[in-house]
Amino acid sequence: MATNDTPISSDEYKTVTEELYKRNLELANLYKKVDSLNHELSNLIKQRENLVHLVTHKVKGSFTRSKYIFACMLDGTFGEISSEIKKRAEQGLESDKMGIQTVDLVLNVANMQNGIIKYDMKNLDFKDIVMKLVAEKSGPAETKGLKLETQIKDGIYSVLGDAFWLKEAVANLIDNSIKYTKEGQITLTLESQNGKILLKIQDTGIGITPGDKENLFTEGGRGKDSVKINVDSTGYGLYSVKLILDAHKGRVWAESEGAGKGSQFFIELDEA
Amino acid sequence: MENILQIPIKIIKEQEMVIGPLAWDEAKKVSGLNVDQNNNSVSFSGDSKEVTNRLVAQYERIFGKASHEVCREAVKDLIAGMSPEEIPSSLR
Repeated sequence: MATNDTPISSDEYKTVTEELYKRNLELANLYKKVDSLNHELSNLIKQRENLVHLVTHKVKGSFTRSKYIFACMLDGTFGEISSEIKKRAEQGLESDKMGIQTVDLVLNVANMQNGIIKYDMKNLDFKDIVMKLVAEKSGPAETKGLKLETQIKDGIYSVLGDAFWLKEAVANLIDNSIKYTKEGQITLTLESQNGKILLKIQDTGIGITPGDKENLFTEGGRGKDSVKINVDSTGYGLYSVKLILDAHKGRVWAESEGAGKGSQFFIELDEA
Repeated sequence: MENILQIPIKIIKEQEMVIGPLAWDEAKKVSGLNVDQNNNSVSFSGDSKEVTNRLVAQYERIFGKASHEVCREAVKDLIAGMSPEEIPSSLR
């Protein structure tokens, strides 16, 4: 072996060069494998996206057609119908509306993931969004016997955001609280402090276990018991809220003391 | 493009994956091989098979047997469609 004092012999030089070549070759082969796997993965992702779009459009088309039929039955287009058929048609119409909502949610998430959705960022009053939603959601909450309360502190609630998608995000959280709360109340607290706007939606519902909390805002990450309460749970609702908040450089998170102890959902946005 | 003209390019590019730009520098030293790195093309002065053998030998002389295998692997698909007499002996 050569030392610092003795020059390296040509044989040693050759051995070292060949050894380095072999190591480089191993790295190059690994790189090729990773590159090929990456290629396969992006193809699979593309195929999945195409499949999601195809299936959701087809399913939405079917829902829309049957919704139209039920609507026509109810508005008398097909003539007089018995009360029993009317009841069934109303159920069918409601079921189709929910189906379309679910399909739209999955499509929206897919579009958000692909960056297809372009956010129309404008200065807007976040308090206004919250108040309008409270007015909209009071009816469904009352139908379930739940109280929907608001506590809005004085402050500036101006944010830079897309009114449509921010409304979707807050509506999703309120709808969730209504769905997963059998009795009690839902309280929305809005405050503005140190350049941050914080919305808290607190309910007296089924709560969140520590295990569920980890996956709550991930794709398909619904709570373990959520389908017991809401059979239509897709696991895309909270994920879509996170994607919306990410696009607004905001945050969404949840807190709960555990199963049966209610939940608190938070949205934080920068004041504009 | 003729397969024989594609062989050196395939070899150089495969060697480039392992040793980087040095692969081009070494190829430029091979007599009878005119390398146009900007256009990823080569031309021969003399017997194309002999020149290709010299390219393979150039890499092997410095980097050993492993580099010879890399050359063979690089042109595997290309030579599959060539008759044995067309294939440079170092790649058979």
